[in-house]
Amino acid sequence: MFEAHSINAEHKDLIHDIAYDFYGQRMATCSSDQFVKVWDEDEHGNWHLTASWKVHSGSVWKVTWAHPEFGQVLATCSFDRTAAVWEEIVGEGSGPGERGMRHWVRRTNLVDSRTSVTDVKFAPKTLGLLLATCSADGVIRIYEAPDVMNLSQWTLQHDISCKLPCSCLTWNPSLSRLHPPMLAVGSDDSNTSNGGKVFIYEYSENSRRWTKTETLSNVVDPVHDIAFAPNLGRSFHTLAIATKDVRIITLKPVQDSAQSGLSRFEITTAKFEDHYCTVWRVCWNIMGTILASSGDDGCVRLWKDNYINNWKCVAVLKGDGTSAQSTETPLTTTPPNHPTGVQQPLSTTRNVTIATVTAEKPTAPIMSTSKWQAPVTKGRFSKSVWLGNPAEPSPLPPPILDRPKSKK
Amino acid sequence: MTSKTVFITQEGPANALALNKDNSQVVIAGRNVFKIFALLEDRFEEVCNLRVGKNLNLNFSCNDVAWNLTDDHILATAATNGAVVVWNLNRPSRSKQEHVFVDHKRTVNKVSFHMTEPMWLISGSQDGTMKCFDLRTKEATKTFYSNTESVRDVQFSPHQQHTFAAVSENGHVQQWDLRRPDRYFQHFTAHSGPIFACDWHPEATWLATASRDKTIKVWDLTAKPSCDYTIHTIASVGRIKWRPQRKYHIASCALVVDCSINVWDIRRPYIPFASFNEHKDVPTGVAWRGDPQSFLSTSRDCNLYHHVFKDATRPASKANPQGIALNAKGDIAYACKVNVNAPTSSVRKQLIYPRKMPTSNDTFYMAFSMMHRFTVTTPQEPKWFKACAEGYLLSGKLNEICDHNAVVASKAGRNDISTVWSITKTLYTDSLGNILTTPPTVSKEDAVNTLNLSQMAIGPNAEQTNTGHENDVKSLQGEAPGVISGGDDETETDETPENHHFIGPIPSGYRRSFSGSKRQPKGDFFFGEGELEPMTMEYTNAYMHNIINNDNDWTLPKEAFPLRHEIQDRSPPPEQFPNHSPDINDDTGAITVEDQPCQLIVTAIPKPVFWDPTHLIEEALRHHAAIRDIQTSVSILIALGDRRKILNIEMATQEHWLLEYIDMLGRFQLWEVATQIIQLAWMPSVSQLNQQSTTIHACCSTCTKPLQRSAWLCDRCHTSRHALCSICHQVVRGIYVWCQGCTHGGHVTHISEWFNSNRQCPTGCGHLCEYT
Repeated sequence: MFEAHSINAEHKDLIHDIAYDFYGQRMATCSSDQFVKVWDEDEHGNWHLTASWKVHSGSVWKVTWAHPEFGQVLATCSFDRTAAVWEEIVGEGSGPGERGMRHWVRRTNLVDSRTSVTDVKFAPKTLGLLLATCSADGVIRIYEAPDVMNLSQWTLQHDISCKLPCSCLTWNPSLSRLHPPMLAVGSDDSNTSNGGKVFIYEYSENSRRWTKTETLSNVVDPVHDIAFAPNLGRSFHTLAIATKDVRIITLKPVQDSAQSGLSRFEITTAKFEDHYCTVWRVCWNIMGTILASSGDDGCVRLWKDNYINNWKCVAVLKGDGTSAQSTETPLTTTPPNHPTGVQQPLSTTRNVTIATVTAEKPTAPIMSTSKWQAPVTKGRFSKSVWLGNPAEPSPLPPPILDRPKSKK
Repeated sequence: MTSKTVFITQEGPANALALNKDNSQVVIAGRNVFKIFALLEDRFEEVCNLRVGKNLNLNFSCNDVAWNLTDDHILATAATNGAVVVWNLNRPSRSKQEHVFVDHKRTVNKVSFHMTEPMWLISGSQDGTMKCFDLRTKEATKTFYSNTESVRDVQFSPHQQHTFAAVSENGHVQQWDLRRPDRYFQHFTAHSGPIFACDWHPEATWLATASRDKTIKVWDLTAKPSCDYTIHTIASVGRIKWRPQRKYHIASCALVVDCSINVWDIRRPYIPFASFNEHKDVPTGVAWRGDPQSFLSTSRDCNLYHHVFKDATRPASKANPQGIALNAKGDIAYACKVNVNAPTSSVRKQLIYPRKMPTSNDTFYMAFSMMHRFTVTTPQEPKWFKACAEGYLLSGKLNEICDHNAVVASKAGRNDISTVWSITKTLYTDSLGNILTTPPTVSKEDAVNTLNLSQMAIGPNAEQTNTGHENDVKSLQGEAPGVISGGDDETETDETPENHHFIGPIPSGYRRSFSGSKRQPKGDFFFGEGELEPMTMEYTNAYMHNIINNDNDWTLPKEAFPLRHEIQDRSPPPEQFPNHSPDINDDTGAITVEDQPCQLIVTAIPKPVFWDPTHLIEEALRHHAAIRDIQTSVSILIALGDRRKILNIEMATQEHWLLEYIDMLGRFQLWEVATQIIQLAWMPSVSQLNQQSTTIHACCSTCTKPLQRSAWLCDRCHTSRHALCSICHQVVRGIYVWCQGCTHGGHVTHISEWFNSNRQCPTGCGHLCEYT
């Protein structure tokens, strides 16, 4: 199903981030070696290095593309406490070879942070040219370029403090006016007693402020990456989190607190431990149908859901390119009565479920029968995971649904 | 104090610190502070305050301090007023000041004792000279002229007795022989900016230099100086010190901006090996305590810190070692750290990682990433998305659209979507078109579905969708995950009675409509399996008749049609349907149809099952949006034309769908489709998308000057010649059409009239104009 191609990036240190542009035809990589490299795809599907330049004086943590309607624009953030915006320009010089030459120029350097800037992301284009950064001292900053034609002027619009060191952020990509601008931020604070590590911020048009509307209290381990799924017309939001495991969280806005102007959410969490080690990255495909996660096990796992939002691992790709596995070629076979104490590196079925509901009434976990999936027994390991608040009384076991098997 | 990070706060910031030879005491010196502390197990204890006496002049204001490496009671300081002061701790008086050398003309930046000869002291000053003092004779024995503006650091070589290195503000490094004060024996430019510090490696023949250009460079001075390593830091580097017993490690602190003390592995010059972030202001001095695990530091924040290595933060361990990205084609780019240690047992290695630090230290510098691209050999989603986007008809007659799109979808391998189109067709073209004039006749199959409807209508929305989902899942179980489930449904659909012998489109319309919302399998299940609980059915009398008399024939007798008026009159408005059904059930009897595999309880009701597909379509659209199939939702929504007005879907949601779909089309660069959708959009916020920032620039055809004020008058030639109509020779002030071949043109009406009867250009230029 997948073919692996090795790319010799020739970065001199770790590569920390890869980003495709809007169309998926350009790719940018950034590394601790303080360089960003831009790769372009030719018509035969081969990728070529087209630019490579020193962007910061420290490790470059993240690189991200702006929507192409703003031009060929990249933003980077670094250990050197700055974030920068870069634009590719086509040379207009008269010298030989200068004309038509493309090169990247720094349009601005955002120096407000006093610590390492850990993530940088452009807002959905409907909000204008907006850039959010977050830093190791727990400050989220939102910059705006009031004139989209002038990328060298950015004004710091908001400065939000979130107490814990931030490691990653993501914009809710929804283009709907029904959804207020929303950001999710993750913290890699390793102290689990500091509570939830994922925060949801929403912008209120009335107060013109960003306010924390939710803290995902069941994510207490350090969060390394976070990603909203493409919205594609859904009324709810899906958030993937890379922590010690992979979590997929859906946030359904609940309109009972309309008077306060802030929507609260009904939160459903699904958790997958297939990596059995720290998960570093999560990334959605553009349709929001596939989630890719990668962890210290050096594997990329692809997740897909079925019609009841039951996510399953559908493929495992090894990072060294030696083998690309997918479920078509069966994974390791497991004896049916495998002792549950032993962890298995690979399992195909993993069940999911529910969780706490609105922040307002956290006491009673709502159980809806349909959300507990009866384990699919196909001779493989499977189990149900309860993800409620540990403080709450443990919930009833999943109801046994008396559901006859279908004819197949 | 070997195992804990401790600190003590002073009244003023210290500029420098120095440890005595056995590392048990530390002296700190600054403009207003000059003290000696003993290093106890868990704290600092003040041993001596040297800043005492009646006359606290500038001799007490120190830039630097050095502790004699042999005689434990001798200290030297570099004063800001240009004095070099020697202190003797063994003096019986309160003041320990032993001697003041006032040889330098300007402030002294650095003092340094010789490694082995306790009597030799060297100083570097802002006046550009270095002086070597002999503490026995109490005089400056030699003066070295650097020929630079100022000397920032001087250090005796630990390898050659008579050699010392000096660095200066112009970026030069000089090596001098103590015995030859006339001229340096080596000189090179090391940095592009001022060099603030240098440090000899204790073992290797390396000299490290730190500069304002934000770099630390390591020079091999054995032969011609060569820069072996360069570390790029984030700020000007003020101080550097090699870490004892760790060949490749060096500690640095910045002059500005950065308050942390970083320890680097010179082989990995981009990210600090360890970082100490205790200070609140920039550190001013660093001194290792002889072992690699602890050191002391002073800072402008007035604190003296004792740092231990285990409390350091490791920026590299927090750094994300992986990158992953997916593009529109479904390709995955993945970069990950190569595991140097155990490429085979990566999982195990990771588990022991936190405990086994030495492993990570040894491999720290070997960090590099591998990058792979995984390409999908058979791209599924993007392919059908593109095929459908390009193939779909979006305007015209609904049934044609539906037929066409159903074909497109099924060609693209999306059988379920194809079915949805067919359903939509039957729902609307037939039900709305014909149903109002024909009786709502239902075949038996439809009855089953009718039941579904009633259930659905009664039950709360959420539950209903869930059951729908469950059915889907059921049909899916046993399939490989990742296969689009619809395909399965579709095959079953085809077997359903629709293909058998229906009389007209109406019943099939009904049937399909239900399965539309249920996505087919529901009907199939109820039917084929016969394993569901008894079903209640609402039925017309006429149909009851039909069924009972005519069990095996599900076609409708023609006689049914005359009944239509009667039925229609009694048909309840669709919205009320849910409310009515309980009553209906109450006064009707139940009939079990024996010959069905499932137990069907058919209730005869007097009212016809006329029913409006609106909310069903609405459900379907929402469902497709929820499963991220925005294409289907939007395409149907557009295809419905004005019928969408009765859908209970908020404008904002519709707008949302359109915008998301347009955005998605953009990703696939399907501009034409996107434009088509924008044009077909019924809400201004979407339909005006293409009108924003679109400008056409025109130039005068005679002088080529851009037309600015108006399209028909050139500012330069003051004529409107370029805007004349070729036929009436009047200036065209409205829409101008022209042939791109011969550039002639004119009023739209004139030109079109002309070309109705002619083929050549009206000007007689002989061009066979082509207008489309």
